[in-house]
Amino acid sequence: MVFYGRTCRMSFDEEFATMSIKLPDGKAMRDSQIFSAGLNNVVTTEREFDELVAKSLPELLDRATGQTKRFLRETNQWGDDITHEKMALRWGYELVERFVVFGRTEVPCRPFFLLDSLIAKSFSQPDPLCYHKELLTPVGRFLDGLASRAVVSRDALIALFYHFYGFSQAHVVKLLGFGQAESQRVYKNFERWRQSGWQRTMNETGLSVSEIEVLEQELRTRPDHLNHEVDRLMPILQSHYRKSEPEHYPCLSEQKWGQLFHDDYGHDYRVWHLAFCRNCFLEVADRRQAEVSSGLKPQVNLQIHPLKKGGVLALFGGDRGGRHHGNTRAQRLSRTSA
Amino acid sequence: METPELNDYRAHLLDALDDQPRRAAEERPGFFQILVNHEGVGTLNCAQTDPSFAFTARERSIQHLEIRSESGVLIGGCVAPEAGQKSLRIPIGKGSVTIHVQNHFDGGSLRVRYEAAPGWWAHLAATVGLSSRPAAPAVGRTPVWTMTTAFAQIVLAVGVVSLLAERIPHWMGSDDRAHQLEEELAARHSAQEQIDRVHQQLAQLVEAQATAVAVSRSEQERIAQLNALVDTVAQTQQKLNTQVVTVQEDLKTVKTDVAQEVQTGMRVAVSAVEADRELVRQDLQSIKSVNETLIKQVALLESRNRELHARLALTSLEVAKANASAPKATVLAKNDAAKDVAIPTTVADGHREADRQAFMFWVAFEDGTTEKSIEDLVQELNGIKKGPMKSGWYSVEVNLPKPEPPDRFLESVKRAKIVKSVVTSKAMPPAQ
Ligand SMILES: [Zn+2]
Ligand SMILES: [Zn+2]
Repeated sequence: MVFYGRTCRMSFDEEFATMSIKLPDGKAMRDSQIFSAGLNNVVTTEREFDELVAKSLPELLDRATGQTKRFLRETNQWGDDITHEKMALRWGYELVERFVVFGRTEVPCRPFFLLDSLIAKSFSQPDPLCYHKELLTPVGRFLDGLASRAVVSRDALIALFYHFYGFSQAHVVKLLGFGQAESQRVYKNFERWRQSGWQRTMNETGLSVSEIEVLEQELRTRPDHLNHEVDRLMPILQSHYRKSEPEHYPCLSEQKWGQLFHDDYGHDYRVWHLAFCRNCFLEVADRRQAEVSSGLKPQVNLQIHPLKKGGVLALFGGDRGGRHHGNTRAQRLSRTSA
Repeated sequence: METPELNDYRAHLLDALDDQPRRAAEERPGFFQILVNHEGVGTLNCAQTDPSFAFTARERSIQHLEIRSESGVLIGGCVAPEAGQKSLRIPIGKGSVTIHVQNHFDGGSLRVRYEAAPGWWAHLAATVGLSSRPAAPAVGRTPVWTMTTAFAQIVLAVGVVSLLAERIPHWMGSDDRAHQLEEELAARHSAQEQIDRVHQQLAQLVEAQATAVAVSRSEQERIAQLNALVDTVAQTQQKLNTQVVTVQEDLKTVKTDVAQEVQTGMRVAVSAVEADRELVRQDLQSIKSVNETLIKQVALLESRNRELHARLALTSLEVAKANASAPKATVLAKNDAAKDVAIPTTVADGHREADRQAFMFWVAFEDGTTEKSIEDLVQELNGIKKGPMKSGWYSVEVNLPKPEPPDRFLESVKRAKIVKSVVTSKAMPPAQ
């Protein structure tokens, strides 16, 4: 195809164009000078790597953060404010966290080059960062922090049921139709999340104490408004993070969900998909109301802090009458039957 | 930008990074989450009878692998080569997790396995080529088994436990010698580890030869290392031999027949190590000639390495730029592949148009793009504009030849200078 031929040439030219533009202004030079000699040299043992990394963390973090900023700028996703700065730091942090662990399996290596290639590799994934303008608000960052943690932590994944819908551990166990052993695990998830997981996630997301207080305040004074906002943001958030769920976990029809519960299989499927898919969650929660024994319609019911030990809660709060939910479910069902 | 809040945050993240190794080291075997290319693929339950996990990736090779605890602590992981293999072992509590990745260019497979307590005596027994089975009856026949565990392990390791069992009391009080033996065996253990490592590196090197052009690391360094390792093994071997002599002298105080038996055991042990070393030496010999050629190739490769690295980084960024603005294209490819799965899919966005030859997408152009250049582009694509522009988006329909994957096509559309963004969605233009 003629068109392909043209684009190939184009990207090739661009590549060299960038090279020649960047070198004269000295940017590339500065980049490498930021690094101490140690990070440029070959490291031959794991121990050497660990030691060098331990004392170069600030340099590594700044490097990864700088690269993230550059990526955001070049993809028109940058704004000059503290929220963007924090975001770049957070992603830089996640890159360095992996680098520290992966790097020691790559010795002998040059740490400097390894970090750069790891970053380049990460950013060359499709949609590598969850960047959406709507998620830049405090509540958006709160939700994003929870969801991105849930990708790597089962504690956080289980906690999503509480933070999004106000489900306690007992409700979660019933919703998911778990037996003895698995419910133990859910209780442990809740416990660790309460003890340290939540705080760590808030810290690593960069939500300050005052920001969390403001959210709390708003939830007290205008719960409907905030829940409505969460309801609006959830599809954006979930469409990004559902890509991280195990392959081949698509939405199921009501009938298929029923079968999955009835025949007692797909336990991981239930956890993953229902935590990350509002539509399926509402459908399944609705169907399993008898088991969850609430008698109220399940709906979005934001919780900021983790569930207190032995805390009793009103499961679905006041009836805010599934305004949007009925709607979305009807859509989904019609698509299923099509 | 620098504010106290930002500095606080940065300081906090640095603390968390600093704390990471400690947190990882504190993890105990339990449920481990396995993530491949940032997607969760499953859980390894260490409490199972066979705590292992296998995964096969189609479409893409296994590039990133992460093992995390339930609380999300990154315990271990690696980046794997696009084609080739990678193996690693992560200590967890008293046990360890072994990982083996095997990649080819359009997929890969992964095996993760938890092994409880490493049983270093078993390892030692294997080292000297003896099974640890004789240990079982020995224990039964030794009512006065009051020796330290370490000592017992040494005895087991040299494989003379059944012979010595009844005479154990003679050895009482010989703590010094026990200590000496322990050292000797530790040395042997490390010799074996070095041999293992040489073996491993040899395997890697052989593999590197096969894919020499793709390998960007310096093989020369590796060969130098190999030689150094072989030297170290040889040195350790010498040390071992002298230690054997020392032990032999010590044994003169013990009854002669016992001494002979121990000597035999020692010799078995030493010759096993020696045989191993001989094997390594032969391996090394046989690949040395191939290496000569390789070294020349490597020298050539090395001179181009720098340039390649620079280009790799730049290319990745280019690809990243292109990808970031078009997540839909990948989703589309993914859904396509998911179709052959047993569970009937109700794909949320349902890009089923991909099946047909006529393929429709929405495209937005950079500000100030003239109608003329838009027309030109559409023509170049052999496409048809469908309907009027809706809030900055044009709908275009093209006829793709069947084998042409739509995402690759979209990728190339995106590269056109005037194109700002491309998406596929059914009927509505994407919300801005
Ligand atoms: Zn996203
Ligand atoms: Zn769903």
